[in-house]
Amino acid sequence: MRDEELQDWIDKSLNETATDEESRALEERLLKDEKARDLYLNAVNLHASLRRRFSAEEEPSQTSAILDFPKANRRKLIIGSAIAASLVLIAGITSKVFKSPPPAVIAQVVGAYGKTGNAILSGDPITPGRFEVSRGLVRLDFRNGARVTVEGPAEIDVRNDMHMVLHRGVVTATIPEAAIGFVVDTAAAHVVDLGTSFGVSVSAEGVTEVCVFEGEVEVSNQTAAKPRLLREGQAVQASEVSKSIDSVAFETSQFENAWPVNAGVLQTTGSMRFVSPGPNFHPGNYEDNEHIVVFPEKRGFLSRESVRVDMMDPGEYAKTRYKEKPVLPTGSRLTSYLLQLDAYPEGKNPNRRRSVRGQITFAKPIAGVITVDRLLKESEVVFGIPNVSYPSARTIEPRPEGDQRPGFDSLILAADRRTLFIELQENPGHLDQVRVLVEAE
Amino acid sequence: MAVSKSDSSRHDEFVSLYVRYEPAVFSFVLGMVRNTADAEDVVQRASMTMWRCFDQYQPGTNFRNWAFQIAKNMALNHLTKVKRDRHVFGEKLVALLAEQTEERSEHLDARRRALDLCVEKLPEADHQMVAACYAKGATIRSFAEKTGETANKIYKRMNRVRGMLQKCIERQLGLEDKVLG
Repeated sequence: MRDEELQDWIDKSLNETATDEESRALEERLLKDEKARDLYLNAVNLHASLRRRFSAEEEPSQTSAILDFPKANRRKLIIGSAIAASLVLIAGITSKVFKSPPPAVIAQVVGAYGKTGNAILSGDPITPGRFEVSRGLVRLDFRNGARVTVEGPAEIDVRNDMHMVLHRGVVTATIPEAAIGFVVDTAAAHVVDLGTSFGVSVSAEGVTEVCVFEGEVEVSNQTAAKPRLLREGQAVQASEVSKSIDSVAFETSQFENAWPVNAGVLQTTGSMRFVSPGPNFHPGNYEDNEHIVVFPEKRGFLSRESVRVDMMDPGEYAKTRYKEKPVLPTGSRLTSYLLQLDAYPEGKNPNRRRSVRGQITFAKPIAGVITVDRLLKESEVVFGIPNVSYPSARTIEPRPEGDQRPGFDSLILAADRRTLFIELQENPGHLDQVRVLVEAE
Repeated sequence: MAVSKSDSSRHDEFVSLYVRYEPAVFSFVLGMVRNTADAEDVVQRASMTMWRCFDQYQPGTNFRNWAFQIAKNMALNHLTKVKRDRHVFGEKLVALLAEQTEERSEHLDARRRALDLCVEKLPEADHQMVAACYAKGATIRSFAEKTGETANKIYKRMNRVRGMLQKCIERQLGLEDKVLG
């Protein structure tokens, strides 16, 4: 028997003319009556089929071309234009996946060579598959903003822009918000980023170490029941043999070559040491008689204040008056680094004086160098790390013009604007600091 | 960047499965969403999600049910958005319809195939009306305006033709006796 009332509601629903009351009545009826649902589904099925059938009049040749179907299949693909529209969209995604941007490109190279001794070149795309670095450092910038530096000898597989496998070697990763969930797999561990920077290494013996510099990561393996949540300043070790994930001391030294490249520093030579961030990360904790220590401060920071600097042009730094100091234009994005020599009295001759020399090359041009106390303090407000108490007296002592005596500090900005040569006189108990502002990447 | 063989064959596999099941997915979505333009939109977004998540689909398992699952979530999201403006089916009914569609999917496929024959048997005038009203972007209202008829009259004619088509489908499938008896 025909149910006129139900049929009327269904017809109106298909014609899109049902009032809210009719729509509610239909819903009520369908909820309690399985036969009514059958009738409704049959009607919708017919309605949908007619739509597909008659909106499919044109031959979707354009779609076939875009999707590049094998010729043999083409006959089967006389498809409706609505399906074609979906497929064109999918083709858009597909072409992203297969043709245009690769998951990552080589953004920086520091003396890096591939498996066959070929030089690795910056600007080259990384296609999914095996990538080997026999020596040197390579920074990969992923499409989603993830940045991974690989230190050779290393072997990795880039699966896609959210997933890579480290077979051996050292990588450090900086993951922006857009790439949270980025995965680094090794034979012994599955590392999922939760918005952070971290290092992963796989030794020749197959031991995986994970070190979190900032933020959090989740580490799991096939045998551990629960993934381990690692916070900054924590490190774990895993191997295929032990089957467990064990806490180890936070030790960043193995990442000290790769990490600076992540942070925009291409190279440090001489007695220059770059510090990976971690807990208690502030300059006061880094007394070091052998090295000028480099701390990354604010990154990519847009300054709305005008910043006065001691020097911005290539050449050697000489003392100038406050009023003569150049001012950086506002509105440029800058990354800040603090360079420090903090020697402490030591050994038989605690007051010995000697110099520490080094060179640092940044990936981007240096916008300005700051050294006098007043300007260091001014720029700290903008570029300093919050909650770090910076010291007061720390300026360097450049050679006055015409002075021939030994024992002054020297700061030279090279003509490439990316390299800074530094020679500082060690004076135990005294502190030297220089802030370098670099154009953000 | 070269297209690796496995990626491109994976893509072909997706396209062939998608083209095969798209009509079922569209019908499934239309039953929940009840608005043709919205249903096209939901299906389109669902298809992109399916392609993105295709590596999670296990070859050899039921692609239709996998696709239904994705499409159902998209449809529910859509219904949540539009329910302030008009009455839409609630989650409970959507779940019932989804379940019943999955159970009856073979039968619904058969009805779709039978429909092809039945459409050809329609009287010329009815065939023309159906073709015009169901053409891409067309509605009964727009067809009525074009022909100078009242929309109401066309609605009634369309309801009648759909009824004829259902009867024809059931005859084709040998279901007529059951339905009548």
